Amino acid sequence: MKRLHHLSALELRNAFLNGEVKAVEIADFFLKRIQKNNKPLGAFLSILESRALFKAEALDKKRAQNKPLGKMAGVPIAIKDNMHISGEITTCASHFLNNYKAPFDATVSRLLEEEDAILIGKTNLDEFAMGSSNENSAYFPAHNPWNLKCVPGGSSGGSSAAVSARLALIATGSDTGGSIRQPAGFCGIVGYKPTYGRVSRYGLVAFASSLDQIGPMTATVADAALTMEVIGRYCPHDATSLDLPAESYPLSPELEPGTVIGVPWQFLQDLQPEMKANFMASVDAMKQLGAHVVDIDLEVLKYSIAVYYILATAEASTNLARFDGIRYGVRSKNAKNLDEIYEFSRQEGFGREVKKRIMLGTYVLSSGYQDAYYKKAQKVRTLMVEAFEKAFAICDTIMMPVAPSGAFEHRSFHDPLQMYLQDIFTIPANLAGLPAISVPSGYDKRNMPLGVQFIGPQLCDVSVLQYAYAYEQSTKHTQIPPNYV
Amino acid sequence: MKGDLPYELWEPVIGLEIHAQLNTQSKLFSPAPNHFGDEPNTNISVVCTGQPGALPVLNKEAVKKAVQFGLAIGAEISPVSTFDRKSYFYPDSPRNFQITQYETPLVRGGTIIADVGGTSMTFQVNRAHLEDDAGMLKHFSSFAGVDYNRAGAPLIEIVSEPCIHSSKQASAYAMAVRAIMLYLDASDGNMEEGSLRIDANISVRPKGEKGLRPRIEIKNMNSFTFMEMAIEAEVSRQISLYTNHPHRQPLELIPPGTYRWDPEQRQTVLMRQKENADDYRYFPEPDLVPVVLSQAYLDNLRATLPELPHDRFRRYVSDLGLTEYAASTLINEKQLSDYFEQALAICNHPRMLCNWITVEFAGRLKDTGKTLLNIGILPVHLARLVQMIEQNKITGRIAKSVADDMVATPGLDPETIVAQNPDYQPVGDIGSIEPIVDEILAANPQSIIDFKAGREKAFGFLVGQVMKQTRGKADPQIVNSLLRKKMENS
Repeated sequence: MKRLHHLSALELRNAFLNGEVKAVEIADFFLKRIQKNNKPLGAFLSILESRALFKAEALDKKRAQNKPLGKMAGVPIAIKDNMHISGEITTCASHFLNNYKAPFDATVSRLLEEEDAILIGKTNLDEFAMGSSNENSAYFPAHNPWNLKCVPGGSSGGSSAAVSARLALIATGSDTGGSIRQPAGFCGIVGYKPTYGRVSRYGLVAFASSLDQIGPMTATVADAALTMEVIGRYCPHDATSLDLPAESYPLSPELEPGTVIGVPWQFLQDLQPEMKANFMASVDAMKQLGAHVVDIDLEVLKYSIAVYYILATAEASTNLARFDGIRYGVRSKNAKNLDEIYEFSRQEGFGREVKKRIMLGTYVLSSGYQDAYYKKAQKVRTLMVEAFEKAFAICDTIMMPVAPSGAFEHRSFHDPLQMYLQDIFTIPANLAGLPAISVPSGYDKRNMPLGVQFIGPQLCDVSVLQYAYAYEQSTKHTQIPPNYV
Repeated sequence: MKGDLPYELWEPVIGLEIHAQLNTQSKLFSPAPNHFGDEPNTNISVVCTGQPGALPVLNKEAVKKAVQFGLAIGAEISPVSTFDRKSYFYPDSPRNFQITQYETPLVRGGTIIADVGGTSMTFQVNRAHLEDDAGMLKHFSSFAGVDYNRAGAPLIEIVSEPCIHSSKQASAYAMAVRAIMLYLDASDGNMEEGSLRIDANISVRPKGEKGLRPRIEIKNMNSFTFMEMAIEAEVSRQISLYTNHPHRQPLELIPPGTYRWDPEQRQTVLMRQKENADDYRYFPEPDLVPVVLSQAYLDNLRATLPELPHDRFRRYVSDLGLTEYAASTLINEKQLSDYFEQALAICNHPRMLCNWITVEFAGRLKDTGKTLLNIGILPVHLARLVQMIEQNKITGRIAKSVADDMVATPGLDPETIVAQNPDYQPVGDIGSIEPIVDEILAANPQSIIDFKAGREKAFGFLVGQVMKQTRGKADPQIVNSLLRKKMENS
């Protein structure tokens, strides 16, 4: 048998079910990998050693007794540290929540554990998922396993680094403007953002409720599909959860004849030559599989970043209002009265980027400014939804790069607006609630991974994974970073 | 000073915002019990304390009750309505925003018909919407705590047009709203427990002036009496300011502000000045989907509405012949009205029943702290008491003594009370009444002359004399027939 971290989640599960490996051995193996590699990578904020071993022992016992085992049996899974596991600390990579013990399970954590996953640790992120580089973690930045000088992307950078370095085989991510897909692209793994509402947000600490969506970050498309079968369920605790039956995800290396792929060429005209070449190669790969490629008009997407930073910050400014030092979290020791509790706790508890976004969001919602910003942005959002609808009338899926470049070096952006531009290709799927996946598409001249996106119409999660799978199987760009083989 | 003010020249303009707690099983956005009076922070869930990651899920029962209210007042029900976040920081607000309906309330328009001192008046409702209640701050000697049991309780906020022009109209309107909530079983309407809280927006203007002058708001009144007092005090304050400073600008005299009523000082007390309008930064609540109501749903609720207080009022006045005053006294308390209905089913004498309920027993119970509803006098007991009077088994005077006994020993059937007390047995044999009749006739010759001259009053006087002599025990029918026979034959 291959070494455990060379297996996909599906293969590892089958190995466990077939008795080729014990769950305790799996847990031990990955815990050791984490212990060895986490310090330089900064991927995990906490390691759930005793929880993982306890679960592994229970699984071995269950197997010995021939009891039925779940779809995720024995698979070590990392949870982004903005999702709750009951009884464990959820920090959101913020000093404000240093001490916050989750009082309930996120639906996603619960479903994974019910299907016998081994939850192995909580991964690093930009504070409250606000960032594109993981440099906004209040604790320490995460690093890219392909080059530690580079960022792993963000906000789910800890998750992408962990899966890329095979410290876990699956990690959960949350994607508000690209926070799953961009770090997946930067680290050479698969990252999937489902249709808005497909996965319950219950137990995910909200950044921007109308955009947030949880999804899997995995080494392979098949593992993403496996995860979706488990977590893509209706949840009565989330009013925006889609009340639809759970789907199964049959995958075929072949593309259905007549598949039409839309590419918004005009919108992509400013791509750097290296990125353009990589993207063209991906489009060609799909043509090789028999796809027909059409040009689509998504010019309105050029307003994505402006719209996003208005809507996301508006929602965030109220979602984060609850962090006031009254009921939980860290209350400032310097506070002497109620106003000071609010002021000092938030001043000391939040990092710069979070404060900036709260202020921006408060501003765009203020009376007198709301029409010019928030309401106008909502109108443009509607135009984007309509533009996508029009595009999907003539194509089945849309291809776009994941980001304007591969992973960049730490501290390379001094202008925050330049950093925000990183999200230009990922934000549109959030604004329109569309399923979108990032799949490895090769490497740049620095040998840093690149990714390509497939975006589908709402609810077409199954077909998006299918296109990604066909692409993945025909291109096979996925590799384990050299230092983690 | 009050007496010196030229009230007749001024018109108060009042709008009320009534917050009624809906009596649903669970809270508006969480499965936690919606229950008052338990140990602090026991009826809470992760939603009620605003835990990160917790999400609101709308309670359909609350929507139903709010829609029923809208249908009951003939309002327009929005087929699609949405929720908004209203941002403000306060420890009793667990998310530091309230979830309310700002842009598209569930209920728009509608009218409330209320009896104001015997006159039926119609008041316009602007809107009614759902929102969640806040927790409660508790102050201790060295610290303050927050009880989140109430946090998330479902409220319907009913906003009137500024169409109310006196404190009496205000309380009549508010009582009518409360009665509707009770009849729908949508709220317990318990004001002492804060299930119904009223904010009043008050301004005054010279009679005939069209525009509205600056208004102030009195918040959180939980008694109709206090509300009337507060409105009267505030109206006087404003008229007095305008009267004493005729040349100053209204906005200068009455700067907008939020007040509360201090029942001890008997005046309105400024809480905060609204120099800059509060900016609540309303925007659509992204964690909730719009409430979409089908026509079939609305038709079904409309068809199954219970009898409403105003329908009952009209029935009492036109079918049962009650006075408007008596009818409104009965209907405003649904339980009292239901009590009346139960008694009426046994004994079809509505006016007498109403009189016994609203005058006789109310008077006897006034200072006991009890009411007919909780003292243990059953509707059937009341019905039998009235039946005995109607069937001349007891006289009105004896009935009053029986009623005294019913209050003293609640639960005892009036028939038993009468049977056990010989003093309450009417004297029915002609033999013992006749001598007394003779005696009375002999003593009052002038009355006989008057009676013969056709003055019925004289007859009543003689009956009264006989009854007095027999201490109310004589069977009135026998007395009547004896008197008539004897006078006609004399």
